[in-house]
Amino acid sequence: MIIEIGYFAVIIALMVSIAGILTPLIGLKTGNPAWIRAGRQAVTANFILLSLGCGTLIYSFLSHDFSVKYVAMNSNSRLPVFYTVSALWGGHEGSLLFWAWILAAFAALAAWLHWKTHPATMPYLLIIESSLTAGFLALIVFLSSPFERVFPVPAEGMDLNPLLQDPGMVFHPPFLYLGYVGFSIPFSFALAALLSGRLGEEWIRATHRWTLFSWIMLTFGILMGGYWAYYELGWGGYWAWDPVENASFMPWLVGTAFLHSVMVQEKRKMFKVWNLFLIIVTFSLSLLGTFLVRSGILSSVHAFANDPGRGVYILIFMSTVLILSFGILIIRSNRLKGKIEMDSIVSRESAFLFNNLFFLIATATVFLGTLYPLLVDTLYGTKLTVGAPYYNKVFLPIVLVILILMGIAPMIAWRKASKENIRKNFLIPAVIAMAGAVISAILGIRQIYPLAAAAIVCFVAATIVIDLYKNSSYWASHSGTNLLRGLYNTWYHNQRRYGGVVTHVGVLVLILGIIGSSAYKLEKTVILKPGDEFTLGHYSYKFQGLQDVQGINWQGVESLFNVYEGNYFVAEMRPQKRFYTGGSQMPTTEAAIQPRHMGDLYLSMTDITQDGWITVMAFQNPLIHWIWYGGGIMGLGVVLILFKRKRRES
Amino acid sequence: MKGWHVATIVVILGIIGLFYAGLGRDPRSIPSVLVGKEAPVFSGPDVQSGEILALDAYKGKVIVLNFWASWCQECRLEHQNLLAIHRQFRNYPDFVMLGIDYQDQPGDAIVFLNSFGSTYPHVRDIKGTIAIDYGVYGVPETFVIDSHGMIRFKYVGPIVGPVYTQITDQIIRPLLEGKELQR
Repeated sequence: MIIEIGYFAVIIALMVSIAGILTPLIGLKTGNPAWIRAGRQAVTANFILLSLGCGTLIYSFLSHDFSVKYVAMNSNSRLPVFYTVSALWGGHEGSLLFWAWILAAFAALAAWLHWKTHPATMPYLLIIESSLTAGFLALIVFLSSPFERVFPVPAEGMDLNPLLQDPGMVFHPPFLYLGYVGFSIPFSFALAALLSGRLGEEWIRATHRWTLFSWIMLTFGILMGGYWAYYELGWGGYWAWDPVENASFMPWLVGTAFLHSVMVQEKRKMFKVWNLFLIIVTFSLSLLGTFLVRSGILSSVHAFANDPGRGVYILIFMSTVLILSFGILIIRSNRLKGKIEMDSIVSRESAFLFNNLFFLIATATVFLGTLYPLLVDTLYGTKLTVGAPYYNKVFLPIVLVILILMGIAPMIAWRKASKENIRKNFLIPAVIAMAGAVISAILGIRQIYPLAAAAIVCFVAATIVIDLYKNSSYWASHSGTNLLRGLYNTWYHNQRRYGGVVTHVGVLVLILGIIGSSAYKLEKTVILKPGDEFTLGHYSYKFQGLQDVQGINWQGVESLFNVYEGNYFVAEMRPQKRFYTGGSQMPTTEAAIQPRHMGDLYLSMTDITQDGWITVMAFQNPLIHWIWYGGGIMGLGVVLILFKRKRRES
Repeated sequence: MKGWHVATIVVILGIIGLFYAGLGRDPRSIPSVLVGKEAPVFSGPDVQSGEILALDAYKGKVIVLNFWASWCQECRLEHQNLLAIHRQFRNYPDFVMLGIDYQDQPGDAIVFLNSFGSTYPHVRDIKGTIAIDYGVYGVPETFVIDSHGMIRFKYVGPIVGPVYTQITDQIIRPLLEGKELQR
C-alpha cells in the first residue's frame, strides 16, 4: 500500500510539472503574475511529491518489502542498513527517481532564492526546470518505474551489487548527480537570458554560486569514483578512461572552462555568446552522460541496463533539449555583439581564451575517444576499443598547456600586459621551473612528460608563492603588522581571488599525485605458496598463509603478508577475496592498502587454487593519496569563495 | 547564418544520428576469433554427480555450450530460456547441451540447479581453465558447436529477447538438419 502512495505521488508530480510548464507560459502571455506564482507553487509541490516518492521507496527497502520488484532486485534482509538506504540509487529505476528528486529540489530552491531578485527571469526558469522534470518523470512513470510489484512475492531479495557495497560507492553517484543537476540552474538562467533578452551580466552573477557548487560536487563525484575503483576493483589504478568515466569527465571539462570564462564577461563584458554556448554544452554533456550510461549504447564496465526502449526515449528527450537550447542560442545570439575587441594577445583576456580553447580541445579529445568505437561499429561493423594509450598521447600535452596557463592567467594584466608586468611576474618562476626540471632529472625522472609536468608545477607554485609574498608584505607594511597578518589581509580583501588560488594549489597537489603514482609506479604479479616471499622496490613481502574471514553478509578468504623494509617490520597486510551470501555470490576482491610515505603499498589477491597457492598483484603507488588530498584542497578553495563575506558590489 | 551556427547544427545532428544508428546495435556482440575454429576439448566433473564428462564423448553431435555461475544475475534471467531450448531440441538424437559452471562454489551451483531446474549436464570449471580456452571473459556466454567439432556461433550475455529465436531458428535447427547457416 505504502509503495502505491509513492507511485501516485510521482504520477501526480508528472501532471504537476506539466502544469508547471503551462502556467508560467500563460503568465508570460497575459502578464498576470498569479499564473507565474502558480508555476512556482508547482515546483515546490513537485519537490514535496517526489520526496514522498523517494520516501516510500526507502521505507519499502527498510521494511524489506520484497513484493516491490526494485526492492527485491536490489536488496535482501541481510544487507546492512546503510546500504539498504543507498540501494535507492543502486539500480536504474531508483537512480532516475533520485535524479528527478534532486532536480525538483534545486528547482524549488532556485525559485525561492531568486524569486525577489530575478523576477523577469523567473517564468522562463520555471518553464525550463519543469520541462526537465517532466521529461525525467515521464521516463520513470512510463518506462522505468521503481514502484512495480512482483508476483509471486519472493521470500528473499537478490542483493545490492556487492561492488556497490562500499562507502565510496554510496556517495559517488549522489555527488555526480548533484553536479549534473546543479548545472541545470545556470543552464536555465542562460536560456532565460536568451529568451527574455536580458543578456547582460545579470544571469552570470546570479548563477555564480550555483556553478561553483555544481562544479565542486562533480569534482568530488569523479574523485570518489576514482577512489572507489582504486580501493574496490583491485587492479591498482583509479582511472581507466572507461566510457562512463569519460561521460562524467566531459561536463567537468566544459564546466571548468565556463567557470573561468564568466570572469572575463564580468570584468570586461566580453565572451557573451561564448559563455552561453559553454553552459549549454556543459548541461548537454550531463544529459549525454545520462544517455550513455542508461541506454547501454557503449560497452563499459558500468554495463547497466541495456534497454533499447528506454534508450530511444532518452535519445528523443536529449535531442529535444539539444535542438531547442542550441536553436534558441543561434536565433537569439544575433542580438549580442561583442562590443569590445581584444586589446592585445598578451593579456589576461587572451590567457582565459586559450584556457577555454584548450579545455574544449580536451573535451573533444575525450569525446572522440569515447564515441569512436560506436562510429566505427556503425559505419564498418568493426569492433574496437580506445584505451589509455590514445588518451595519454593526446590528452597529456593538452593538460600541460592548461597548467602553464594556470600559472599565467591569474598574474598577467588585463587588456594589455606590459613587458615590465611580464618580467616582474614570470621571470623568477621561469627560473624556478628550470631549476625544478634539473632537480627532477637529478632525482631520476627521465621521461619527458613527467619532467615537463614537474617543471610546470614548480612554475605555477612559484607564481602563487611570489604573488602571496608580495601582497602580504604590502599589507604588512601598509598596516604595520607582520607577514602572517598581511597574508590574512591579502585573503580578506580579495576572497574570491584567493579562494581560486587555493583551488589551483589543490590542482597542483592532484597533478603531483598523478605524476608520482604513474611515473614511479612499480608493479608485479606473483604466484606464491605459504612461506614464499617476493620483493618489490625496497620492500619484501612474506606470505604467511590463508585464513577464513566473515562479515555480516559475506564470507571470504584472506591471505596474510608480513611486509619488511630490509629487516625492519613495516606492516601486516591482508588482501581478501569475498563471496557475498546474498542473492549474488559474485566474488569481489578487497585490496589490502598500506599507506607509506604519502603513497601506498597495494596487494590484490586475484586467484586462490585448491592446494593453497595464490596469485597476487603487488603495486607500489607513490604519492597517490595526493590525488584525493588535492581534491580536498580544491573543495576548500571553493568553500572559501562560496562563503566569502558579502562586500558592497562596486 | 554564421560559420559556427552551421558547425553547431552539423555536430548536433551528427551526434543524434550516430546515437540513433547505434541504439539498434548490441555493444556486447563481439565477434570471436574462435568462430570457425575447432572447439577446444575439455573434460571435468559433473556438478551434481561428480562423474567426469568430456567433450570428446559427443563427437559428431551439435553441442550448445553455456557458461554460467550461480552468482551471476543474468544467468538466472536466461535459465528458463536455456531449459526451453533443451526442451525444443532434446528429441533430435544429435543434439547435446552442456552447461559449464564457471568459478563457482560447488554447493551454490547445486542449490542453483535444484531451485531453477536442470535437464542437461553441467561441468564444473572451478579454476576457469575451460573458460580461458574458450576466451570467455564474463558469464553468461553461449557457444554452438557443429557436428564437425567447429564453433559456429558465440553469444555474450543472456539468451533473452530476439537472440533466443536467432539461436534456435537460424543456428541450432539448420545445424541439426544439415543445412548451411545464413550469413
